[in-house]
Amino acid sequence: MIEQLKPIWQRWLVRRIPPASRIELNHRRIFIMPTRSGAVYGLVLVLMLLVAINYQNSLAYGLTFLLLSVAVLGILHTYRNLSGLIISAGSARSVFVGEPVQLRLRLESAGHAHQAISVGWDSVQLQQADVAANALAEVELTLPAVTRGWLRAPRLRVESVFPLSILRTWSWLDLEQTVLIYPRPVPGAMPLLQGVQPHAEDDGLATQGQGVDDYHGLRVYQPGDNRRRLHWKAYSRGQGLLVKDFTDLSGHDLCLDFMALGGDIEERLSRLCHWVLELSKRQQPFALRLPDFLLPVNSGEVHAQACLRALALYGIRS
Amino acid sequence: MKGFWATKPDESPSPPIPRVSLTWLLLAQALVIVPFVLHVPLALVGLWLACTIWRIQIFRMRAQYPSTLVKLALLVGTAAGVFFFRGGLVGLDAGAALLIAAFILKMLEMKTRRDALVLIFLGFFCVVVGYLFEDNLLWALFTLLPISTLLAALIGLQQSNLASKPGGTFKLALKLLLQAVPLMLLLFLFFPRLEPLWSLPQPSNKGVTGLSDSMAPGDIAELSQSAALVFRASFDGPIPPRNQQYWRALTLEQFDGRRWSQSARAQIGQAPQWQKLGDPLAYSIVMEPSGKPWLMALDTGETNLPEVRQMSDFRLQRRRPVEQPLLYTVNSWPQARRENQPAIAVVRQDLQLPAKGNPQARQWAADLLRRYPKPDDLAQAMLAWFSDEPFHYTLKPPTLGANSIDDFLFDSRRGFCAHYAGAMTFVLRAAGIPARVVAGYQGGELNPDGRYISVRQFDAHAWVEYWQPGVGWRSVDPTAAVAPQRIEQGLEQALAPDEEFLADSPMSALRYRNVPWINALRLSWDNVNYGWQRWVLGYQGQQQLLVLGRWFSGFDAPVFAGGIVGVLGLIALWLFKPWQRESDSQLRLFNGFERLLARHGLRREQGEGAQAFSRRAALQFPAQAEVIQAFADEFEAHRYAGQSGSLTGLRRRLRQLRRALPWRRTALRDDRH
Repeated sequence: MIEQLKPIWQRWLVRRIPPASRIELNHRRIFIMPTRSGAVYGLVLVLMLLVAINYQNSLAYGLTFLLLSVAVLGILHTYRNLSGLIISAGSARSVFVGEPVQLRLRLESAGHAHQAISVGWDSVQLQQADVAANALAEVELTLPAVTRGWLRAPRLRVESVFPLSILRTWSWLDLEQTVLIYPRPVPGAMPLLQGVQPHAEDDGLATQGQGVDDYHGLRVYQPGDNRRRLHWKAYSRGQGLLVKDFTDLSGHDLCLDFMALGGDIEERLSRLCHWVLELSKRQQPFALRLPDFLLPVNSGEVHAQACLRALALYGIRS
Repeated sequence: MKGFWATKPDESPSPPIPRVSLTWLLLAQALVIVPFVLHVPLALVGLWLACTIWRIQIFRMRAQYPSTLVKLALLVGTAAGVFFFRGGLVGLDAGAALLIAAFILKMLEMKTRRDALVLIFLGFFCVVVGYLFEDNLLWALFTLLPISTLLAALIGLQQSNLASKPGGTFKLALKLLLQAVPLMLLLFLFFPRLEPLWSLPQPSNKGVTGLSDSMAPGDIAELSQSAALVFRASFDGPIPPRNQQYWRALTLEQFDGRRWSQSARAQIGQAPQWQKLGDPLAYSIVMEPSGKPWLMALDTGETNLPEVRQMSDFRLQRRRPVEQPLLYTVNSWPQARRENQPAIAVVRQDLQLPAKGNPQARQWAADLLRRYPKPDDLAQAMLAWFSDEPFHYTLKPPTLGANSIDDFLFDSRRGFCAHYAGAMTFVLRAAGIPARVVAGYQGGELNPDGRYISVRQFDAHAWVEYWQPGVGWRSVDPTAAVAPQRIEQGLEQALAPDEEFLADSPMSALRYRNVPWINALRLSWDNVNYGWQRWVLGYQGQQQLLVLGRWFSGFDAPVFAGGIVGVLGLIALWLFKPWQRESDSQLRLFNGFERLLARHGLRREQGEGAQAFSRRAALQFPAQAEVIQAFADEFEAHRYAGQSGSLTGLRRRLRQLRRALPWRRTALRDDRH
C-alpha cells in the first residue's frame, strides 16, 4: 500500500518543492507533525487533566493548560526554527565506484539563529548543525557510490525538533546535486589497441608478458618529475634525489582500447580506468578508444578528466 | 514505577544527554522536590541527596551507573520504605511518596535523551501532584521555578553539546512560558469544569482541627487555641452586625450525661419545613478543607451548590467531606419561621435526657416551669439568671464531677460557651421544652480592604435553640448573657486579663493585632490570599458559570475561538516580525524601481547588476540621471555596504524619481521627437 503511494507522493513533492540548487525554507516547504515524544507529552497532559478534574484543583488545571499552551506555541517556535533557513548545494568531488561521495551543503541564516538542524538522506542517519544568526554553517554528507555515471543525490531531509522535541518540522529538498562517478579501477594487463602502431605492438606484448610496473632504473631528479616516483629510500641513504624510471614504455604513443579487452562492459571500463589513472600518474601520453568514441593522444590532468568522464558516461548518455 | 526500565537494550541507542540539560535537570529535580519535603517521609529526602551526588559523580566519570541488581534493590527498598512509613502503598500520601521515589531513581539511571524525557514528564506530573498538598499563593508562585527549569531542561535536551549556554536555554524557556500565558488564561477561563469522574484518595486532613460531631464541655476551649482559618465570607449587601453572625455548622441533640453528640435522626436527609420571611442575606463563602461534610451558613441558609442538602436540623451538608477549598453562595433568611408545625420526631429527640443525674438542675427546671409557663419567658428568666449570678467566662474551667450540669450551674460557675449551652439545653429539656445545642462559629474578623469576614477556629461557638408550637425554633445564646464582649467584640476581649489569647502560638500575627502596621500588613496579605482562593482556587463549576455569565453572557464559543486565534496571531506576529524584514524591504523598493523603469520601456537584463542597470537608465533618461544614480548608490549602500538603519532615504529617492519621470511612456516619446 505504502509502496504504491510512493510515486504519487514523489510527484506531489516535486510539484510542491521543485528542485533548485538554493532553497529558502518557507511555509510552502515546511511540514510539521508531533513526534512520539509529543504523543507521550499529550498523554501526560491527559493524566494531569484527570488529576485536575478528579481533585477539582484549579492549579492543576492551570498547569495543564499552561503546558498545553506551550505545546501549541511550540508549533510556532519549531516552525520558526526551520523557516528562513537557506540551504544550498556545495561542490562535490567525483569519486570512483565503491568510494563514499562527500557532498557539501551550505546552511545560511537570513535573520535569526537556527538550532539543532539535522540533515541527512533518510530520517534515521542525520547530521546535526547549528546556524547562528546571519551566519553560515557547512555540513558534509556522504553517499555510497554504487554505479558509475551521474549520481543524483536523493532528496535531502532537513529536520528539527528544537525546542521542545514534541514536534518535528521537516522538509524534503532536491538541491539538484549531481556527482560524476567513475568506474572502479581494477588492475590488470594494459589493454592496448592492436595493429595500429607497429612499435607499440611489440612493446605492448612485451609489457603484457612482464607485468605492470616495468621498472627500468633510477635517474637523477629533474624539476617537473612526478614526486610520487621519488626514491625515498635512496634519499634517506644520502644518495640524493633519485627518480624511479619507467623508460621502456615512454617514447611510444599508447592507445587504450575498449575492444582489446574481454569480459562484460563494466569490467572492461574498470580496467581502462585503472590504466588511465596509471598512465596519468606516469605522465605518459595516451589515447583512449571506446566504441564510437576516440580521445586523441594527450597527457595531463584535463586529458585524464576527459578520459574518466568518457568512461563514466559510456553507454549512459544515449 | 513506570519507566524505570523504559530503555530496552534492543532499541536503537538514543543520543546522550547534553551537559546543559543535565544541569537544568538536577536543579529542576531539587525544585520539584522542595514542596514535598513536608509531605513525604524524610528518608526520601536523604535518598534524593544520595542519588543526586551519585549522578553528578557519574557525570564526572567518578562513579558507575547502578547495575540492574542495585537498581532492583533500590526499587524494592524504596517501595518497602514507603510501605513502612506510610503504612501501605495506596492512598494519596503513599502514592505521592512513590511518585517522588520514582522521580529520584529515574534520575539515577538516566542515560539517554529518552530517559531524560521520561524524567521531565515525570517532573511535570510531580508538580501537579504537589498542588494537591500545597495550593496557596506563595507555593503556586514558587512552582513557576520548577516548571521553567523543567522546560529549560527539555529545551536543553535538544541542543547540541557545543552551542549552548545554560542561560540562553532558560531565557528561551521563560519566553515560551510568558507567551503561553494568554492562551492558558483563555483555556482556564473557558474550559468547562467537570464533576469528578471517579473518586480518588484525597489528601488526608486528619490534622485539621475543627468542630466534631460530638462535644464534651472542654472541646471548644481547645479549638480556641487555634488561629487556623475556617472560612471567609463576602456579603453582596451590607454586612450584618456582629451579634447576628451565628454561623451554624451542626446541631447536637443527644446527651449522655457528659457529651453532647449528633443524633441518629440528623443523618436522615429529610428536608425540614420552613417559611422564608423578611429580607434575605446573600453572601458567598470560601471554606477551607475541613474533612467534614458540613457547610457553614447563617440561619436559615439555602445554597444551590450541587450535592448539598439542607438536613432536618437546618444544617447544610455535602455528600462528600470538604477536602479542597470550597466556594459556595448562600441566601439566608434570618427571620425565617422554622418548623412551626409540631413534629413528633423532633419533640421526641429534643426532649431526650439521661434517665438519672443532675437532680438539682431538674428541680430548678421544675421551679422555673411553675413560675414561667411560656417557653419564651422561661428562657429569658434563665438568661437573666446567668447574667445576674456570678458566672465567669473562661478558657480554663475547673473539672466537673459526675453531675456535670449541677456542678457547673450551682458550684463552679466558671465555663466556656459549651458549658452554658449544654446546661441551658439540659434545663430547657427538663422543663419539657424541646431544645438542642447548635455548634458553629460566631463573629469573625472584618477585613476593611476586602470587605469580607474571616472566621477562624477560635471563633468556634455553641448556642441553644428551643422549639415551641406555632413559633418553631428560636435561637438563644446564654454566653451573650454572661460575656457580652465575646459576642460583640470577640474572644480576645472576652477573656480575663490573666488569660492569654492564643497562648500556644506565640508567632501568630493575630497576636500582634494592636501593632498597627503589622495588622495592616496582615490584613492586606489575607485579602490577597482571599482573592487567590476565590478567583483562582475557587474557579470551579459555579464560579465559572458566574464569571462567564457576567462577562460574556455564558459560554461564548465564538469569543473563545476568536480569542485563541487572536492570541496565536499576535504571538506569531511577534515571533516572525514581518515588519523587520529589512533585506526584503530593500528588495521591494528596488523592485518598485525596476517596475517604474519597465513602464517606461527599460527592462533589466538577466544578471545585470543594479549599477549597470541604472547607468543604462541614466543614459536613456538623461533628464533624470541624477535621481536614478542617487537611488542606485543608496540602494547599494544599504544592500552591500552593510549600511543599516531606516530606508526612508531610499524610499524618498524612489518617490522623487516617480515624480520626475513623466507618467506615460507616450509622453516620453513625444518629448524625444
